[in-house]
Amino acid sequence: MLKNYFKSAFRSLVKSKLYTALNVVGLSISLTAATFLLLWVWDELSFDQMHSKKDRIYYVAAAIGKSKDQLWGTTSAPLAVFGKNEVPAIENACRISSFHDNQLWLYKDKKFNDAPIYVDNSFFQLFDFKLIEGDKKQPFPDNRSIIISESTAKKYFGHENPIGKVLQVKDGNPYKVTGIMADMPANSSLQYQMLLPFDILAENRESNPLNTDWGNFNYQTYFLLKAGSDPISVGKQLADIHRKNQQSDFWKDLNYLLQPLSKYHLYASDGSEQGMKQVKIFTFVAFIILVIACINYVNLVTARSSRRSKEVSVRKVVGANKKHLFSQFITESFLVFLFAVVLSIGLSFLLMPLYNSISGKEMLFSLLNHRVWTIFGTTLFVILVLAGVYPALMLSSFNPALALKGILPRFGKNSTFRQVLVVIQFTCSVVLIIATLIISRQLQYIRKMDLGYTRENVFTFNTFNFKKNYDAIRQQLEGEPGILGVTTSTQSILNLFSSTGDLEWEGKPANMSSFIINQLSVDQNFTKVMNLQFTSGEGFTGTPADSAHYILNELAVKQMKLTDPIGKSITFHDKPGTIVGILKDFHFKDMKTAIEPCILFIDPNWGWNTMYIKTTGKDASKALASVKTLWKEYNADYDFNYQFMDESFDNIYKSDMRAGRLFNLFAGIAILLSCLGLFGLVTYTAETKVKEIGIRKTLGASVNHIILLISKDFMKLVAISFILSFPIAWWLMNKWLDNYVYRTDVRVWVFLVAGSIAFLIAGLTICGQALKAAKNNPIKAIRTE
Amino acid sequence: MIKITELQKFYRTEEVETVALNNLSIEVEKGEFVAVMGPSGCGKSTLLNIIGLLDDLDEGSYKFNDIEVAHFNERKRSDLRKHNIGFVFQSFNLIDELTVFENVELPLIYTKVPAAERKKRVEEVLEKVQIMHRRNHFPQQLSGGQQQRVAVARAVVNNPKLILADEPTGNLDSNNGNEVMQLLTELNEQGTTIVMVTHSEHDARYSDRIIRMLDGQVVMSTVGS
Repeated sequence: MLKNYFKSAFRSLVKSKLYTALNVVGLSISLTAATFLLLWVWDELSFDQMHSKKDRIYYVAAAIGKSKDQLWGTTSAPLAVFGKNEVPAIENACRISSFHDNQLWLYKDKKFNDAPIYVDNSFFQLFDFKLIEGDKKQPFPDNRSIIISESTAKKYFGHENPIGKVLQVKDGNPYKVTGIMADMPANSSLQYQMLLPFDILAENRESNPLNTDWGNFNYQTYFLLKAGSDPISVGKQLADIHRKNQQSDFWKDLNYLLQPLSKYHLYASDGSEQGMKQVKIFTFVAFIILVIACINYVNLVTARSSRRSKEVSVRKVVGANKKHLFSQFITESFLVFLFAVVLSIGLSFLLMPLYNSISGKEMLFSLLNHRVWTIFGTTLFVILVLAGVYPALMLSSFNPALALKGILPRFGKNSTFRQVLVVIQFTCSVVLIIATLIISRQLQYIRKMDLGYTRENVFTFNTFNFKKNYDAIRQQLEGEPGILGVTTSTQSILNLFSSTGDLEWEGKPANMSSFIINQLSVDQNFTKVMNLQFTSGEGFTGTPADSAHYILNELAVKQMKLTDPIGKSITFHDKPGTIVGILKDFHFKDMKTAIEPCILFIDPNWGWNTMYIKTTGKDASKALASVKTLWKEYNADYDFNYQFMDESFDNIYKSDMRAGRLFNLFAGIAILLSCLGLFGLVTYTAETKVKEIGIRKTLGASVNHIILLISKDFMKLVAISFILSFPIAWWLMNKWLDNYVYRTDVRVWVFLVAGSIAFLIAGLTICGQALKAAKNNPIKAIRTE
Repeated sequence: MIKITELQKFYRTEEVETVALNNLSIEVEKGEFVAVMGPSGCGKSTLLNIIGLLDDLDEGSYKFNDIEVAHFNERKRSDLRKHNIGFVFQSFNLIDELTVFENVELPLIYTKVPAAERKKRVEEVLEKVQIMHRRNHFPQQLSGGQQQRVAVARAVVNNPKLILADEPTGNLDSNNGNEVMQLLTELNEQGTTIVMVTHSEHDARYSDRIIRMLDGQVVMSTVGS
């Protein structure tokens, strides 16, 4: 019986080659697209899931106040120590200190620039990173121990056994390798190569011991909670402990938010969705693509049902019951899907490298990958249920006596159901086109936005030893050809992440005790070179008095409720000084964050780590050459890694732009699939109307008449889709744009353009096919009847 | 074998209701060969479809071997059909995707006859209709007469008690037509009951009895040659 089903199905598919090809190609494209999307989604969802205690490991963020910009992703060092000792629900704790510059590491004649991180001894007990060599419980026997990753070991030691070897930091300590860990998996949020004991950071701090320094929020803290404990209550207890140990009004609203490690990658500390939004969007797009392909399949099968009715009836007459016929048609669907899967596997192998380069991931398409099969299996099952069952039920329920006469009461002629499906399909497509346009407009908008300072033709680099002789180097560079300006700051102005509450001024209201301001130490040229605009005041003077001069941005003045701020005294980090300038608000974080209060001050002791050289497009190479000459003199041990600020700025949005590109790609596929379906439907409509067309032509209808006859119903459907898709897209895209503080507006022309694109594509598909039908010789058409 | 009393059958569209069969009563004895004749649209084919349980009746009673089958559901009808009734159509209605052998084999598949047995029976019946040499051909490769012989073979392969033939020679030339009629006669002689709709007086002469219909009613029943 089964053999017979397969035989019949196979022959019937071979016989209708166009139909089979449309179905197989359409399904395999959608299956490939859905697989790619879901692999991406799966990869995102798999982040940090490799730890067996992932649901009990919590990442701690500090909420200083109630608003979102008062949320810090770091804590002070003592929190972990006190928390572990005083909160019963905390089983273990681990701190990570990862904000460290590259150091020069020496082994024999090899030298490398690498940035180590510092972790507590509990690191390998909390996290399941594999320690190939070494002691999980006591990875660092002393403060001169180091654990390195496998690839780092290879880099330094080649094939030698690294255990016991000593790595020397230039002008620093020697460290003995006490452990080798496997490279951290790509889907881990933690990506580290060299681990040093956290206790090193406590060395030489007699006046201000690390583990009682509650105000320095420089460390990431992870807690392992006992099973069943309530993270919210633990957070409150931690805040109480903090307030007990550091009594200040500043902390009155403090709360600690504990976020499970398993949610670290896709959610913000306050539990709101971050990457999860993208994951949902992509899952949704994958679903839409599958639905469109299913609709194509159902439409083509039902449109063709009139051709199958005779066969079905004959089978019924000779004894087939519904079950037989149902099985037969499901077999046929299954075969089509099977072909599609095979083709899709081929396509996936072929396109995976391209997809990886677009998506910036390293996903693997392998038939040994269980993910691939899970995705194939489920999508196949879903398609079979969505697209296989309905046609099979429909085809098996013909009344044979009527069907043999060619009367198909519900399905063959009356195609309301198919029309509804076409409308759904095109609505999805148009929504996707609109989304594509708006997403790229938004990304464009952000990139073109005026940041409030010049980022063109400015390159930046890490100063290393330059900062020790900054003034001399600045003066020397300023005299070089092609260099228009030189300045420096602690961090890059593109992404400032240092803030403080340590700012006092006369009349500071009590309810502003937890006021937080972003801080940036700069040199006196900064505002001039970066082209920051003053609304009042002159800024720094270039004299020693500058060390007691402060510059605020407009928003800070507004929030601090200062009137006539110039000349007013403020105390910043216990250092009194005067306000000498107010800057027009400028952007120093990504565009998803609103502008926040900011203070600029001059203090070289903060470590002027970032240097900016302003040049011109033409002279950039000269400027670079001048810097390189000096680099050899001062920083010979370090690589010279510079980046133009435009580039760095674009890098901030790299993942957004990648997502945008992926979205474009898959939206395109969805539209292509819709058209493929439409093509098939029109072809069959034209076929069923062969006789009508023939008669009309013999009566004198022109080719245009015939095209209109065939296409007007379809064009009507496409038009209905527009009307439906506009409000849906408008609503969806406004919701998406709400992610951005600075957003483009949703313009009417976007809808019109999207509509025209879809209409044009659909129109070409439909009319092309209709034209073919209309041009046939009418006599031939009538004779075949 | 067949006893139909006061059968009513209507066809309804949104605007009109057409009476296809009006208060019709007939009986067919076991082993009889009955021809049904009448002008186009008189309800012959509808009657045949109802007898073959391909179509419902609206009112009246239909007893097949003394069992009331008028209100059988789809599953019971299909069961009764596949074990008792074979069909032959004017347009042959072979499945284009299946070979001669496979077309004839189909009813046996649906009645779950084991493969070896199927092969034997299909070959037997193909011999009988003298089409064995074309067993692996597809219907389009055969002449009309050959196709109809295959259709007859398919109708009888399950040894049905009743064969329903709807203008079996309508698409055939006279030579081929006669061959098919000969075949039906032989089957009848071996005990199969046959009800045949036909326009041809010549074909009707092969039957035991002719039922003449007009406007959905039986107007005359005469004993044939």
